[in-house]
Amino acid sequence: MLLGLTSASRGLVWQDWDDVYVVYQPSSAETHVFNDTTTLILKCLEHGQLSTEGVKNWTEAALGVGQGELAADEFAFAVGRLEELGLIERADEPIAV
Amino acid sequence: MLVGDLSHRQFAGRLASAGLGVQFGPFNLRIRSDLGSFASLAHHLYEPYPLLDAEAISDFHVQIASPRGLRRLRRWVRPQACFSVDGQSIFAPYRADHAFPALEWGINWCVATRAHHLLMLHSAVVERNGQAMVFPAWPGHGKSTLCAALIHSGWRLFSDEFGLVRPEDGSLLPVPRLISLKDASIDVIRRFRPEAVIGPAFFGTRKGTVAHVRPPAESIRRAQEPARPRWFIFPRWTADAAFTLEPMPKSQAFLMVATNAFNYDVLDETAFRLVADMVRTCDCYSLRYADLNEAVTELEKLSGSIDG
Repeated sequence: MLLGLTSASRGLVWQDWDDVYVVYQPSSAETHVFNDTTTLILKCLEHGQLSTEGVKNWTEAALGVGQGELAADEFAFAVGRLEELGLIERADEPIAV
Repeated sequence: MLVGDLSHRQFAGRLASAGLGVQFGPFNLRIRSDLGSFASLAHHLYEPYPLLDAEAISDFHVQIASPRGLRRLRRWVRPQACFSVDGQSIFAPYRADHAFPALEWGINWCVATRAHHLLMLHSAVVERNGQAMVFPAWPGHGKSTLCAALIHSGWRLFSDEFGLVRPEDGSLLPVPRLISLKDASIDVIRRFRPEAVIGPAFFGTRKGTVAHVRPPAESIRRAQEPARPRWFIFPRWTADAAFTLEPMPKSQAFLMVATNAFNYDVLDETAFRLVADMVRTCDCYSLRYADLNEAVTELEKLSGSIDG
């Protein structure tokens, strides 16, 4: 299973303060508040599509925690939230964006 | 020419005929009314405001007047006053003796629902030395009371209700209208500054007891001078609370400013960028107070107006 960015993820406007990111999404005209984990998942996928496991590993490395130390439910929640917002999507095969 | 340059007779005559053109900061209003008691109070409280030139274009045509049609019977039995804008009645009729607060609320409604060329924060704003202090707050948190106290302590009034942000440059625009105080706040300000010009109390209105504070003439005279935001203060009056003024995380300040703006959703990305820019460049504090004098003194210290 691959994760990838959608076209809606383009043009996000970022404002980071402390450990919180406030993000404006032009495609929905909504403002979101992301934590580090959610932000890093998006940053990871800017490099291209990746397996769910690969994204989790990359995110853990970026967070500076050991492999497997990012709680699975926290990661799943962040991925689910990004899918709900239409910013990422899953595919069995590479996604054409 | 100011409202006060008109005799009462001239003032009432304009209200009852073509309308009285008055400038409130960036907004031109034409006001009509056939209510004699309204005219007397309006003449007194609007005295320092500039009149519009005859050829000036009005942003809003508002009216507070006796009902028409069958409702005219109300002229004798529990008389009423109807607010309308551009000929359309917006709200249910008010008691005739509440005509003045009804017009003031109606003008606020016009601004809040129509001035989408500006970002409108639900905030009081005051200014000193070219730097504005913005007080975003929800109703009941004491922003109008604090604002009324500050403008009688050397600060210039921008507004007790609207933080008007110009999208072109992020400047705040003054709209120094009357300050509507409610319930206990009325006597608080009467005691704080006995010389303040405050209109009569209106009892039993839809918002409780209200009275209107006329801003100092200096604030009205300088109503075309914008200022840059410098501080966001999130006030909360709480009886018997110890005074606190604590830095607030920028992310929290952003969310509080954005969520209490009147038209954040209307302006989309423009609003996001304006709020982000303001919060980034301002110092943000959470204020809790019970004593008005202490709050005013500490805010003056914060602004550097007096030595700490």
